[in-house]
Parts: sequence; structure tokens; C-alpha cells
Amino acid sequence: MFSENHCKVFVIALGIVFFAQAPARAEVTLPDGQVVRNVDFEKHIVGVLGRSGCNLGSCHGAFQGKNGFRLSLFGYEAEKDGLSVGREFNSRRINLNQPDQSLLLLKATGQGEHAGGRRFSVDSWQYQLIREWIAKGAPLSKGSGIITGFHVTPTEIPFKSPGESLPLKVVANFADGTSETITSLCEYRSGDEGVAEVNSNGVVKGVRGGDAAIIVSHRGQVVAVRAMVPLKTATGFKYPAVPEVNFIDKIVFQKLKKLNMVPSGLSSDTEFLRRVTLDTVGLLPTPEEIRKFLEDKSANKREKKIDELLKHPMHAALWATKLSDITGNNTDALEQPQNLKSRRSQMWHDWLKKRIVENMPYDKLVDGILCSTSRDGEEPEAFIARTKKQDELLAKGFESDYANKPSLDLYWRRQQQVTVDQWGERTAAAFLGIRLECAQCHKHPFDRWTQVDYRSYANVFSQVAFGVSPEMKKLVDAENAERKTKAPQNNQLNQVREIYVTATNPRAMTHPETNGPLIPRALGGQEMPIERGVDNRKTLFNWMIDKNNPYFAQSFVNRIWGHYFGSGIVDPVDDFSQANPPSNPQLLQTLGKDFIQSGFNIREMEKRILLSRVYQLTYKPNESNQFDESNFSHSAIRPMMAEVVIDVLSQATGVEENFGVDAPKNSRAIEVGSSRVNSTVNYALRIFGRPPRTAACDCERSMEPALPQKLYLMADTALQAKIESQSNRIKTLLSEFKDDSQALDELFLATLSRFPSETEKQHFAKYKEKNLDRKTLFTDTLWALVNTKEFIFNH
Amino acid sequence: MASRMQNDCEGFFRRDFLRIGAGAGLLGLSLPELLRLEAMAAKKGANQPAKKADSVIMVWLAGGPATIDMWDLKPEAPEGIRGAFKPADTNVPGIRISEHMPKMAKVADKISIIRSIYHSIPSHGPATVFMTTGNKPTAALQYPAMGSVVSKVLAPRPGVPQYVSFSDIRGGLAGNSGYLGTAYSPFMVEGNPNGGKTTLRVRGIQLPTNFTLDSLANRDDLLAGFDSTFRETDKNADLVQGFDAFHKQALEILRSDKTRNAFDLTQEKQETRARYGMEAFGQSALAARRLVEAGVRFVTISIGGWDTHGKTFEAHSKRLQPTLDNTLSALIADLSDRGMLDRTMVYCAGEFGRTPKINKNDGRDHWARSMSVVAAGGGFKRGYAHGTTDGQGMAPATEACLPDDVSSTIFHNLGIDPKTELQTSTGRPITLFREGAVIDKLLA
Repeated sequence: MFSENHCKVFVIALGIVFFAQAPARAEVTLPDGQVVRNVDFEKHIVGVLGRSGCNLGSCHGAFQGKNGFRLSLFGYEAEKDGLSVGREFNSRRINLNQPDQSLLLLKATGQGEHAGGRRFSVDSWQYQLIREWIAKGAPLSKGSGIITGFHVTPTEIPFKSPGESLPLKVVANFADGTSETITSLCEYRSGDEGVAEVNSNGVVKGVRGGDAAIIVSHRGQVVAVRAMVPLKTATGFKYPAVPEVNFIDKIVFQKLKKLNMVPSGLSSDTEFLRRVTLDTVGLLPTPEEIRKFLEDKSANKREKKIDELLKHPMHAALWATKLSDITGNNTDALEQPQNLKSRRSQMWHDWLKKRIVENMPYDKLVDGILCSTSRDGEEPEAFIARTKKQDELLAKGFESDYANKPSLDLYWRRQQQVTVDQWGERTAAAFLGIRLECAQCHKHPFDRWTQVDYRSYANVFSQVAFGVSPEMKKLVDAENAERKTKAPQNNQLNQVREIYVTATNPRAMTHPETNGPLIPRALGGQEMPIERGVDNRKTLFNWMIDKNNPYFAQSFVNRIWGHYFGSGIVDPVDDFSQANPPSNPQLLQTLGKDFIQSGFNIREMEKRILLSRVYQLTYKPNESNQFDESNFSHSAIRPMMAEVVIDVLSQATGVEENFGVDAPKNSRAIEVGSSRVNSTVNYALRIFGRPPRTAACDCERSMEPALPQKLYLMADTALQAKIESQSNRIKTLLSEFKDDSQALDELFLATLSRFPSETEKQHFAKYKEKNLDRKTLFTDTLWALVNTKEFIFNH
Repeated sequence: MASRMQNDCEGFFRRDFLRIGAGAGLLGLSLPELLRLEAMAAKKGANQPAKKADSVIMVWLAGGPATIDMWDLKPEAPEGIRGAFKPADTNVPGIRISEHMPKMAKVADKISIIRSIYHSIPSHGPATVFMTTGNKPTAALQYPAMGSVVSKVLAPRPGVPQYVSFSDIRGGLAGNSGYLGTAYSPFMVEGNPNGGKTTLRVRGIQLPTNFTLDSLANRDDLLAGFDSTFRETDKNADLVQGFDAFHKQALEILRSDKTRNAFDLTQEKQETRARYGMEAFGQSALAARRLVEAGVRFVTISIGGWDTHGKTFEAHSKRLQPTLDNTLSALIADLSDRGMLDRTMVYCAGEFGRTPKINKNDGRDHWARSMSVVAAGGGFKRGYAHGTTDGQGMAPATEACLPDDVSSTIFHNLGIDPKTELQTSTGRPITLFREGAVIDKLLA
């Protein structure tokens, strides 16, 4: 299609000579009014390529480029892009003699064949800018575009009402000391286009009342600002006074007021009781508990209930399950032999559960996971003796005293070796709320992390070894030799091994470009060279718990918040990044500080949240807050964890679940440590989104509704068997309540945790006219109740 | 110029994806997206290939078949490699396959044998993931099985599920929805299609035997009276709207007799059933054909026993090849007779091949560096052998291709650009088959 320029080299030489003396070229005016007199490749052209989509991962930004032309992803490496665009293949992509005939421009404007189509037109400013650069000889000045400061103003876009448009302004400070307005050279997107839209030139338009993050990016720089769009109010509107219980209410309501958004009213007692019971212990309140709670007339009965629930053993089980997700308690990945894997998972769960029961401070809890060794400083003989005892118990069943071990070495013990970068990703997601994985291959597109950061952080874990330490070798070899004689097959051998810290770091990763050594470093923290006798994980831990650490405390309070509100202040909860700002930064910071000040007291933080009026608001929205999803102006209708779904279905039907050989007898789903159970209930756990715990993030827990869930509730054989069972709730109901309306009350309490409304009673009465037998009548009612959205969602 | 660009390299504007990924709509989250993909497929845009097939039946040979003794025999190789079987002519001159698959020899004019596929993972789990997803497994990301991708990007048909699997491949490790989320997991078939009695059902989409449609209607009526709590209040709750939409869909599926009928194999002539083979595998293949007729997009059937570390020739000649020969040939011939082969792809593969070198137990061990697979129908060339392996069957000699390439070709035939970008729940854009390229020579 294009004839090759056969004398490129000559032309370049000529071009440089010629254009070196060329007169000043025309200026180019950008949409933001900025006039560019001296087009610079790194400062200007890379930005144009970025906003035109050329350097996307799906286009030329792909690792292998596209059609032979490679750009750095999102223009992070402007210097290399300069060589690709202007120099590679004898500069075939530009034509210094006839700039308009440059391959780059012909393709980008769709005049030449281009799989990516037309990116801009010949009469556009983008075209002019690139053309000018080529016309003046396509100069490259290495490092000219290095940015030292990136400022977006205003940081909060103060709309007066929907419909208004306001421009953003972006200024870059460069390493050469100059500054320039680069508003036209950035990329923009809105976190919620229903609230605020932003166009490609950085003009933001308020669509409807609410707030949205506007994310501005330019060559690896990412900044988020917030568009605040107050709701239109009727004339004479006066914002009502809203009672506040604690600082949470103060901060949340403050922001709502700015948006003219009025919080919903306080939840009713039954609504509150159902919500708080599901949230804290993963169960429905029983009809007796509901009646008792309604009868209690004391002013602090909600607080009393909260205290009671936070001490409930099921509350610890629920958090042990959540923490099992976060720490990756993936049964299949644990050590052989196969039949012990689910028991090891249960030990893991037990260990976590014990610490929640004791309300161990969060920093101590993490210390026990992050800095764990198998011996916890034990002498070799003592370790062997304890291991023997533990393994004897393990061979018998689920009983173990593992929870008494100071640290959770199971976290580090996996059948297949986990690479140091995997440990980096896992610990960053679990304890800092940061998703690092993008930086494995390239600079993180939405955050500050580079490949060097990624690998340096991974190297923090390069001393951790799983095997046998030199001082243990003799004893362990002897023990394993003995065990081997007893094991019929190799894969049935329960080997003694330990997690220990080596003095050197043979597994360390090297620099991605130079291949030189990389000193371990916390994310955005100090270097921590390997020192004999020092466990670098401990150094990392000390960095985490520093009161100025921006992630550690905030990421966990955000997880607690996310659990109790259905979405985090940063959401998803493990995605703290520059492109995903908190919906209410002040709230997150204050909660983080409070958490640190309390000595990382988890239960106190939970209580603070549960006591707040914000938590206790009704789910029923009003005119002003009906579209709110991120400012906590009403309680959110939210799905329950898969384990909780199973448990409440058992409760509602009155038939317990059987989890087979992978869980202790008489467990509830929330008490099961194993990430898979060999039982038909595994299907239900899977479709309701129980995570396999294989990935580094806890993003695996699927909280989206899905068709199979609805089909399960309506027609699954296993659930129908529970609903129709001969010895279930209906049987007791029919014998205990001879009066149909009382039985209906009881069944409503047992499922929806409230009494039926008048309309519902009438509907039931009408259904009764079908003259079904009493058992069928109430079985049908139970079916209908568990199939309501009110049953299956917490609210 | 317009502030919104029409497309990028993928045929999509990136911001649309970001919005979908971050967006609120739950049901709406996937629906507009898939409708759009479908629309693109129909429009045959710059990158969107023409749609040649509507459905796929994947015939999974669990354990890793010794394809060197099936599709790519090496009679000239030294003893210790060439194996016990003789190659036999097929109805396509020049294509010879194992003497123990005489029925396949008679439908060779309807299939492509890909002899040059290879990969590098000789371990069951990850190799299965590789072959069923078309992406090399990584620790950082769980790729969805091809069936899950199909149910994500193609619009559902009323009353039937999109992706049905007869086997929980490797305990659910493979064949699942990976980063797409549980909504795109396969519907699992329960029951045993063994012998004459058929008790097949898809879990969750059919009413239990004692639960009648009348009773469902009754109960649903009662439910309607109890389910109005969120009705007035949450105009914007996607969860509520999504669940309502699923409720309608669920009723449609439960009321539809399409799936039920598909499993009623007694509606078939006895000789047809017999032709497929009366054992579980044969009957599930027949059920798979009926499911595709009913509108299901992707069906996986599976037969194990291919992990022949010992006595491989005995197992292959007595059991494995005769069974496969029977069923696979019947499936292809039946689809062809019914005019369905043009729009239905059949893909027969296992996780890897087996060592050309025969071990001391007269078996063959895991070998991923070379293997063969069979692809037929819906846009695949017919009567064609693609690529070759070297004289000892150790590695591809010509037309070497990867699982990614074959998967790309399958999606190309479905009218889906293999470079289509989807998003993980974390918003990370993932190209369907990043490393794959459509194998043009396989296209009819």
C-alpha cells in the first residue's frame, strides 16, 4: 500500500541539515487555549498518542506491539516511544521531506490502511502538532518530558447544580524547570458517568445530583479529583437537622449536606435486628430473639444487642472465614497428603477464630501471620515433639491445638512453591489493600508502582524458606525416615518441614532492565538490606504499623466498613490506588487514625460503626438519596456471603446441612475452614460465589446475582428436599401453631424477621381459598418466603 | 472531530469498557455488552469475523490421550516409539489414522485433524486449564473456559442455558468461569445416562420430579404477594432489578420443555441411540447434540481413562479407541446427516499427548510437546490434516500451533474476534486469546 522510502538514511541526514536552519514554524493552538510554539516529542506528542488511544494495551501499547509498531503502555516510557516513532526502521514512520506523507499521520488519519481506524482528522490540532514536530526534523530530546509535578485543579469541582459544565486545568512541571498547561494532552474518565461526564478536553459536566471521581491520566501520572454535583432543590428547601451519634455520622452527614442529599430515617427495630444479626454472626435472628428484642423497652437495647453479637462465637467464625479469604486459605494448595488438606484448612480457620474471640489487636494478628515461622523460636527437640503431637491429632480428625501456636505458619506452607513475587502480591493485597499484579510486567497503569517497586517489594520475602533449616536437619531427617516406612505411598507421607528464615536470599528477583540485584524495599518505603539474623518481614511489619503508614490501618478499617455497608469507602476494598480514590477521604482517614489510637482494636471499631446512625439508617431511600450508592445515605440492599446463604437456608427450613468429610461434624457453613467440601452443597456454595481462594486478591468472592442462584432457590433438588422434608420447620410449625395466622406470623419471623403486613395477610388468605392441605399451604409459603428478594439480600 | 471515537484496535472504544467494568448495572452490566458484541458479530466490522457456527460440542478426553496411536501414527519410527498399531486408510486419500478407529476413517472427509498442536505443560491440572481455556495458566489470573466465554459474549436463547457440561472437569478446576465470575459457570448435568434408562437432568434448571408446573405456578403467585418490599423504594437498585430479571428467566427455563425434551433420549430411534453407544459417554454425546438443537451454545462431554502410563496399547485397542470411534463418528455423521454440522463445531481434545517413547510398563507418559486434536464442522476445513510432527512424533515439524491458536480459530468461526477485550472484576482488560492467532489454513 505504501511505497517504502528507499533512501531514508539520506533523507534524514539531509533533513537534519536542512531543518536545522529552517525558519520558526507555525504555532499550534490546543483546545485549552494553550499555544505550543516549540513542539517537543515527550512533552506533547506522547500525550497526543495517549489520548488518541494508540498506546493502549490492546493496540500498540501491547507488550509485543501491534503490526510491528510498539509503544510503551500508556506512554510511560516516552524516550523509547521517541525511538519507535521517529527512528526505528530507518525512520520509516515519518517523512521529513513531506511531513504529510508520514506513515504515522497517514495511518492515524485513516488515509492509509490502519486496523485501528481513524484516530483524528487531517484538520485537527493533533495532526498539526505531530506534523509540526516532523516538519522541524522530528527532534528527540531525551528526558525532556520527565514530569516532576502533576497538578489538576480544582481538586473538588464545585458545581452549583446538575447541567453545569466546568473545565479542569492540568499543569505539569518538568525536570528542566519549565511548566506547561497540558489539559489537552491528558486522558479523562469519570468514575460514575451517571453523575458527571467528562469529555476528552477535560471539561466536566454535572449530570445529576451526587459525586463522582474524575480520573486524569497522562503518561503514567494519575490523579483523581472529585466532582460534587448538589441536587436540585425545591424553593424554600431547608436541610433538616439530623441527629448524630459519633464522628462517623458527623463526617458522612457533612458530605451529604454538601450534596443536598438527606439521609434516610432510622431503621425499625426488626429491620435493624435482622441486618445486624446477619452482618455480625451470619445468621437470622430467631423468632424468640425478635420477640424479646421488640419487648425490650430500654433505651440502649441496640447497644446491648451489638455487644452481645460481637461476643458471639459465630461472629468469630464469620471473621475467620473472611480472613481465610483474605489470607488465601486455599485447601487444594496446602500440603499433601490429600486427606489432611481440609483439616489443615480447619486449623487455619481455628487459629484465626481464636484471635477474633480474644479480640487480639489487628497489628498483633497480622504479625502472627506475616512474620510467622514454624518453630516460633522453639528448640529443635521441642518442635519435633510438638509436631508429632499435632500430626497425631491431625491423623484422627479436625481436633487440633494449632490455634495455640503463636504464629500461622500454614499461611506460608504450600505444597507447590510460591514465588517471591506471588508473596509480594498476596501480602500487598491482604495487608495493604493494594493490587500490585499489573506492575509485574509494566508500570502500573492506574497507580504509582513500577516494575522496580514490584520486584524490590517481592524481595522482602526472599529469605522465607519452606524445608528444613540446617539446625533441624538431623532430627527432621530421622523423623521423616521413620514416617516414610509407615506411609504406603509417597503421596500419603506427611512430611515434617518448616518455614524458616535464611540468612541469604537466593530467590531474590533482579532489576528488570539491568538484571542487577535489587535491595528489598517496602512499597514506597525504605530499603531494607538483608542482614544476618534479621527477618525482613519483621522490618516490613514495623513499617506497616507506623502511624504514618497510609495503607495498613486504612485498608483494614475499609474492609470492616465494606463488610457492614456492602461497599467500602474505597471500593473494591482491596483496590487502593490513585485511580480509585475513597468516596469520603476524611471518613477513611479519621477511621484509620481512630483505629491506630485504639491500639488496632477490631471490636471497638466494629462497635463504633454499628452504633453509628449511618449504619442504623433504613434501607428505604427518599427522593433525594434514591440514586446514592457510595455515600451511605441509606442502608444498601446487598447480597450475603455464600456461606451465610447456606446457613440461613438451613435456619429457615429447619434442616441442617451436611458438609461431608471436609468439615467437622455439625458445622455451619461459616465455620468450615476448607475452601471446598465434597458434598452436594459445594454446588450451592459455588453459585453463590464462595471464592476458591486461589488469587492474590479477595476479588474472587463474587457478589453479583446470577441466574443459577435464582434457579437454585426455586427448583434445586437439594433445597427443595429441605423445604419438603418430613422433619423440618413446617412440621414443628404445624404442631406448635394450630392457628393459621399465628403460624404465618411465626414463618415470617423465621424468614423475613418481621411480621407480615396486612396486604401480605390478605394475599395469604386468598391463597388459602385454594383449599390446600395445611402442610402444602405452609410448605408453599416457606418456598415463597425464601424466594423473596427480602430474604436473600441483607438490607 | 467527535469527542467519542468510534473504535479502537479492538473495535471498541476503551471508555465504554471502563464504564461497564466500574459501572453499576448488574444485569445491565453484561447485557448491553453482550448485545453489543452480538451486534458487532452480525455487522462484521473491521475485526469481527463472519459467523460460521452457532454452537460447540467439546469432546474432552481426560487424562491425556496418546494421539500418536490415534491420529498421527509413526510406522516408520524405531521400535520403542512406533507403537503396536498400524495406520489405516480413511476415505480421504493420504490421511491415515489408527486401525482401531474404522468408523472415524469413514467420516474423515468431514473433519480436520490438527497434528501440529503442542504446548509445554506435562501436568494434568494446568494442561487441562490451558486446553480448555486457550490461555496458558498463570497464578495471577484464572482464565475462563471457552464455554464460559461463549456464554458471556453470545446472547442467550430463551428457555435454555448457554453452557452445559456433563463433567466437572478436574473437580471444577477446569471448565469454569474464572475471572468472568460465577454467572458464567457451566450448568452441570446430573444423573447417569448409562444404558437404556435415562435419568439425565441439568442441575437447577429442571423441577424435581415431585414438583409440578402447576405447583410452581401456585407458589409463584404466592411469592408475588410477598415480594413487593423493595418494589417502590429502590428504583436504582441494580441488585433488585437484576434478581427480578433472573426470576423471569428462571421461570422461562423451568417452564420450557426444551431442555427436558433434549434429555429425553427415548424420543430418538433405538438404532440412533445404539449408534452413539449405549454407555454413558455415547448417550451424553447424543444428549449434547439434542441440547445444541434446543439452542445451547456450548456443551462439554467427557470420557476419562486416557492416562495410560501402563499397558497403553491394550487400553487403547480394547476400550478407549473403540468407544471414541463409535461415539465421535456417530456424532459427526449424525450432525452431518441433519445438516447441523455446518453450524456446529465439534472439538475433540485432551490435556496433552503422550511420550513417543514407550516406557517399561508398555505405557506412555505425559508429553505436551506434540499431540493431535480433531476439529470439525462450523467453518473448519473438511478432510484435512493440518501440520505434521517429526519422524518420531516428538515435536511439530510443520505448521506448529498452540492451544491459543486453535481456540482463536474456534472463536473466529463463532463470529467473535479472538482479540476481543473483556474485563476482570478488578477492571483489568484481558484479551480473549492474547497469544493466539487464527489458523487460516484450517478455515473452510
